Amino acid sequence: MLVLSRKHNEKIRIGNDIVITIVNISDNNVKIGIEAPNSVKILRDELYESVKQQVSEAQKNTSEIDTSTLKKLTERFKKK
Amino acid sequence: MKIKNKKFGELEFDEKIIIEFEDGIIGFENFRKYILVTEEEGLFYWLTSIEEPEIIFPLFPATLLDENYPMEEGYEVFGIVRLAKDVSEITINLKAPIYINQEKKRGFQKIFDSNKFEINKQLFVENNSD
Repeated sequence: MLVLSRKHNEKIRIGNDIVITIVNISDNNVKIGIEAPNSVKILRDELYESVKQQVSEAQKNTSEIDTSTLKKLTERFKKK
Repeated sequence: MKIKNKKFGELEFDEKIIIEFEDGIIGFENFRKYILVTEEEGLFYWLTSIEEPEIIFPLFPATLLDENYPMEEGYEVFGIVRLAKDVSEITINLKAPIYINQEKKRGFQKIFDSNKFEINKQLFVENNSD
């Protein structure tokens, strides 16, 4: 991993169109500004990891319940 | 085209129905091509990878839970469901929904960085006993 030291308001460029700015620094918290094209997905890592875990569990559990039980359970959504 | 998996056995389909996820699905970024398997009278959809047919994501229409759920024009929106033996443990992910345009055969996943949408929302809530 590349580690760079930056001060308040200093920037880092990644490639041609991504700029990271250190907006604010306090004791245990850093505010980071990110300029990037819309196509670049920017996510806090813990959010990415929690989604990844849910998706992976969902993918493993596809046969935990039989289809007829599922159909019965979804009946109430149809009546609405 | 034919694929085979444990859940459905052999599935034969026309290549025209293949839905492309350009960016994949989180954690499964390398898989881009899926088919949407539905069952007669069922409300569940099974997003099945044709590159690795054992990869199946159970989907449920998000708008059936929340009619104001964020839509995209031309797309249907689904939550990925984590099934369980205990019905009360079956949850739906409303934080990272799947959008599918069945006409254009395109799909993508969106992530809402907001506490408004739960990642594990209980799908079947017992309200009144039948």
